[in-house]
Amino acid sequence: MKKILMIITVVFLAVTAHARLRVAATLPNMGMLAREIGGDAVTVRVMSPPDRDAHYLDARPSVMVALRRADIVVSVGAELEIGWLPAAIQGANNRRVQPGRPGYFEAARKVELIGEGKPADRALGDVHPHGNPHIYMDPERMAAAGYALAERFGMLDRERADQFRANAARFAQQVAGRMDVWREQVKDSPGVVTFHEDIDYLPFALGVPVHGYIEPLPGIPPTARHLRDLVSDLSGRQGVIWTVDFQDGAAGEYLSRHLDWPAVQLPSQVPIDGVAEAYFAMIDAWVKTLVAAE
Amino acid sequence: MFMNGKYLGSAVLAAIVLLQGTVKGSERDGPASDPLDPTPYRLRSAQIGQRDLPTATGTEFNPAISVIVDFTYAHITEELDDPPGFDLGGHSHSHGHEHGHGIEEGFQLREVELTFTGTVDPYFDAMAMLGFSDHGVEIEEAFITTRMLPWGLQLKAGKFLSDVGYINKQHMHDWLFADAPWMREHLFGEEGLNEIGVQLSWLPPLDTYLRLGAEVLQGESEGVANYIGPGRHEIVTLLPDTAGAPERNRWRADNGLSEKEGPRLFTGFAKMAPDIGMSHALQFGVFGGYSRAFQQEETHSSGRLETWDGDTWFGGVDAVYKYDGQGAMGHRNFVLQAEYMQRRLSLDYRSQQFADASNFVTTDANKQTWTQDGLYVQGVYGFAPRWNAGLRFDALGLTNDGYEGRGTPESFDASYRYTGQVSYAPTEFSRLRLQTSYTNMASDGHDHSDSWMIALQYNISLGVHGAHAF
Repeated sequence: MKKILMIITVVFLAVTAHARLRVAATLPNMGMLAREIGGDAVTVRVMSPPDRDAHYLDARPSVMVALRRADIVVSVGAELEIGWLPAAIQGANNRRVQPGRPGYFEAARKVELIGEGKPADRALGDVHPHGNPHIYMDPERMAAAGYALAERFGMLDRERADQFRANAARFAQQVAGRMDVWREQVKDSPGVVTFHEDIDYLPFALGVPVHGYIEPLPGIPPTARHLRDLVSDLSGRQGVIWTVDFQDGAAGEYLSRHLDWPAVQLPSQVPIDGVAEAYFAMIDAWVKTLVAAE
Repeated sequence: MFMNGKYLGSAVLAAIVLLQGTVKGSERDGPASDPLDPTPYRLRSAQIGQRDLPTATGTEFNPAISVIVDFTYAHITEELDDPPGFDLGGHSHSHGHEHGHGIEEGFQLREVELTFTGTVDPYFDAMAMLGFSDHGVEIEEAFITTRMLPWGLQLKAGKFLSDVGYINKQHMHDWLFADAPWMREHLFGEEGLNEIGVQLSWLPPLDTYLRLGAEVLQGESEGVANYIGPGRHEIVTLLPDTAGAPERNRWRADNGLSEKEGPRLFTGFAKMAPDIGMSHALQFGVFGGYSRAFQQEETHSSGRLETWDGDTWFGGVDAVYKYDGQGAMGHRNFVLQAEYMQRRLSLDYRSQQFADASNFVTTDANKQTWTQDGLYVQGVYGFAPRWNAGLRFDALGLTNDGYEGRGTPESFDASYRYTGQVSYAPTEFSRLRLQTSYTNMASDGHDHSDSWMIALQYNISLGVHGAHAF
């Protein structure tokens, strides 16, 4: 009997020691980061598709299924997922991913945010008091978050901590190489107007001027008056109009006609199973629009 | 006036945004690249502010607070009584006259709801919701949920809306119409099944969503667990004394209802949701419950007291389908939901009359089984960004077996209500809704009465946006 118990124990330990970490990622970009940092030591389940606005998702039952068995939830944080993630975590009955536990990771807590400390006043729109959460549009911030995620993965799987750190360093290296190229490519770019305060992380990171936003206030759809103001302020200048695939492209088209700037509408997330290559391709697609506009 | 303010705000902010855009753009030229520096990355991360803040989403020890205000204006052509079968004990509350969430004629501040949520310690989350209305302050919910139970278990304790069915646990501002479906209001009670007790739920570690739960509750909801308890029935009459002056006569006797200590109500539920892709969600539920006590009484000016005393079984099914239309601000989203439930009251009926000033004599007694059901089907579609429109069909008493007079079995008629609503939500923090409904209500005998209602609702939420449960 003792022998059997011992065999079971040994087998159990062997299995658990080599079990992969189960990651539930809120967005495809966070899934990408988890795959890059975790490598083959993690299995990643992404809870939302790339073409959706993360502000307005539902705590669908299948989200709770992903959270129920997860060892760690990897989120953007800074209230980006506040409309659904807290309810989904509460409904998932999984103590491992409760906020405050090692299995709850917010990338935005690991880097400085644009717009931190702005007044938390809803008269200014749907503002995020912690700052702009959309850090995934800045590859350098993602690389920084990658280091933090590697430490976190290492807490959950100590044997592989060094492997995770090496993965984070490799990802950061790739980012650094690309950023050099991108910065060089856009150094004469005249600037952009973006729909929402989300993808502006990329022009800020590349040193490209941001001339304004199509939304009069965050979360408030464009008004005719605001668009007219933008046109009168920006006429005679050069730039590109950026709208994310799930946002309304009509206002961008209007600006494009009146300013004679190119308007582009592109995804801001990798495909659901995307890895670093897909992420760099996604960023590269945005950068190319700046290069073309010069 | 409000709108002007907003535009002014927009203009000012646009100016600020433009200013910030240019300033930040020049500020944030990235670090210069150096091809000879092989591992500069950590340093660069440090430059863009790598750090490690704790992950608790920040309210710095304060609970998250939100205030919800609900304001209505309504015109109702005819105030109707509860339909037969649902008015046991002559308990006829022209909707909303108690402290429910019904809509009344004219202007009405239906509720100011104050919600506090937070994490108590590593072991518990808590929420408390206070409802302020003309009828005073009421604790709508106040409960804790566990964070750290193993094996997919969670315990909830306090006062809460039961998880049976789909709409029962939703608050007024989550409803897709200005009022609750009849099923919730008439079969559970004005405020739904809102009870004090404990709930244990379990999510097995499956690849398909399954949630099982059981609740042990005090048992007070008037639709399935009304409890009065033993007590004195008293009436006072005035009769002329020998000189013709009024003399008070006090008649007082035990009501004869049994004593049943809480917990009296026990429920169970199961919810299952197949994974049908990222744009769709479908959930089915079954639920049931048993109450050890259901008591009701009706007093007559003749001194007669009618009592019903027994127990209740109820059960039902629910289904909800949601489509995420990927449009801006709810555009093309679609929700279809339906629920059906039936209750069965097994009651001892007694009609008692005073034999003298302090004793009852039973004049009639029989066993009664009341069976009532109700259902609703509703669909809401986001026909434009910020706008949605919906239709709802309510049926009450499709099965409606009860008793007339002192115990004659009777099948009462069904009642129907047809509701349409259009709502406009400028942001997710405010909503304006226009709703109209036509009611065809059964009344005693086989008559029906009708009524139209038109209502305008304005609902706002201040403060933290709470996450919405599915």
